[in-house]
Amino acid sequence: MSIHIEKLNYVYQSGTPFSHRALTDVSLDIADGSYTAIIGHTGSGKSTLLQHLNGLLKPTAGTLTVAGNKITPETKNKELNELRRHVGFIFQFPEAQLFEETVLKDIAFAPKNFGKSDEEAEDLAAKMAELVGLPASVLQNSPFELSGGQMRRVAIAGVLAMEPQILVLDEPTAGLDPKGRLEMMEMFERLHQQQNLTIILVTHQMNDVANYADHVLVMEEGRLIADSTPQEVFSDPKWLKGHHLGLPQTTAFAAKLADKGVPFKNLPLTEEQLAAQLAELLAGKGDEQHG
Amino acid sequence: MDKMLLGRYINGDSLIHRMDPRGKLFLSFYFIVIVFLCNNWETYVLMTAMVMLFVKLSDISLGFFIKGVRPLIWLILFTVLLQIFFSSGGHVYWHWGPFTVTDSGMTNGVFVFCRFVLIIFMSTLLTLTTTPIEISDGLELLLKPLTKIKVPVYEIALMLSIALRFVPTLMDETTKIMNAQRARGVNFGEGNLIKQIKSVIPLLIPLFVSSFNRAEDLATAMEARGYHGGEGRTKYRKQEWKRNDTIAVILFVVLTIALVVLRK
Repeated sequence: MSIHIEKLNYVYQSGTPFSHRALTDVSLDIADGSYTAIIGHTGSGKSTLLQHLNGLLKPTAGTLTVAGNKITPETKNKELNELRRHVGFIFQFPEAQLFEETVLKDIAFAPKNFGKSDEEAEDLAAKMAELVGLPASVLQNSPFELSGGQMRRVAIAGVLAMEPQILVLDEPTAGLDPKGRLEMMEMFERLHQQQNLTIILVTHQMNDVANYADHVLVMEEGRLIADSTPQEVFSDPKWLKGHHLGLPQTTAFAAKLADKGVPFKNLPLTEEQLAAQLAELLAGKGDEQHG
Repeated sequence: MDKMLLGRYINGDSLIHRMDPRGKLFLSFYFIVIVFLCNNWETYVLMTAMVMLFVKLSDISLGFFIKGVRPLIWLILFTVLLQIFFSSGGHVYWHWGPFTVTDSGMTNGVFVFCRFVLIIFMSTLLTLTTTPIEISDGLELLLKPLTKIKVPVYEIALMLSIALRFVPTLMDETTKIMNAQRARGVNFGEGNLIKQIKSVIPLLIPLFVSSFNRAEDLATAMEARGYHGGEGRTKYRKQEWKRNDTIAVILFVVLTIALVVLRK
């Protein structure tokens, strides 16, 4: 279920005095089963790009192929439904999409729309509720009685219940406390590992990029300015700073150490990598002193 | 959503933009009243010329005004047809049952059409050249005398400005929730009538919920900043009556006199 995008252009309100170009000649590939992070400033075109992935927007020019469905500016709206079945989209603050009387019904809404019977959908819903860590006791409650964190879990379960092969996440942890954020990211990582789900994550959290992604896309003013691995993108703090992007905490810490003369082989991205490199360096230094 | 132009402000610095909102509001209403004085070709030509002059002065292209007419075109055509088929008097061109097409009916049809277009152009001119906040401030000042007879003018103006302020927010929210539900397999505007009505529920309920939440947040935020009703509240944006406004008023007085002289 790979994604292939070629020369994608999108103009908002094209043909009016308010016309505004959001994407310019974006070409990229996303491999099946990969974990891709998209970073870039507010207004850089990230969300516009995401909305193309399940046909919420159609390109002004260019083509994209998602899970075997080709979308061009001429694609009819009816044909987009087939695409949406494969692509789960978790929006920013997804709890805004809840509307049913009970949690269970809300989670079952999407599978029902995509042709599952009531029973199948509710079985699926109960399974997904468990997967996102909702206690069984809340399933018959109104979603509006839940806490903010739980509402978000309901909304996420509602998208997972479509059993998508591609999961698009638009800042899924915005507004959560650190514990909730970690739990949420660990959950997506589990899904990625266990179900070989292709994940596309838009985020401002460089730590998440370093910890989870294996592919990074950097957007700026509607253009794709980098398409590589976290290792490579974060190895050049100067370039990042020039584009007003930050480093993961660990890498920033390591960069400061490097400035003070600690000879890292390459800048570590995660705590484990940092610890391992430091241990190696300290051991080496110890040997020198003793030797 | 992007086709909604009615009530959209376009930034500019024309003569019309710089007028006092109170003057613009009052004259726009006044214009609607005096449009009804027109009853022959001369008066309609005069009014059309005036409106075209204002459009020219506003530095906004005519296209925006024509787009303002579009949402109401069916209502206008319906009224015009009523006039054409049900007016009596004058030379009869065609006759069938209760329907008659006469020359005076045709003329009336054209007049009604002109009247609609003139009124829409004028109100579009007001909203295109005046920010919503200026309109509600202006309305508040114009209606102030009514506080004497216990009309809740401040509350009305506040409700108006909050409503206007949240139109774009609500539209964004609608797009967002529509997208989210589309991604969950809802097809808006497809299928039979029952299906379509059903598809509105997943849109309306989240919108209501978020509107109530927002209203509560807004109330808290206003109280936290010391809002306690309009009484004794001072204004950051002062509206000033300038010479241009006086000239505009004089122009309208002259226009009224001309209309009274020219009409049958």
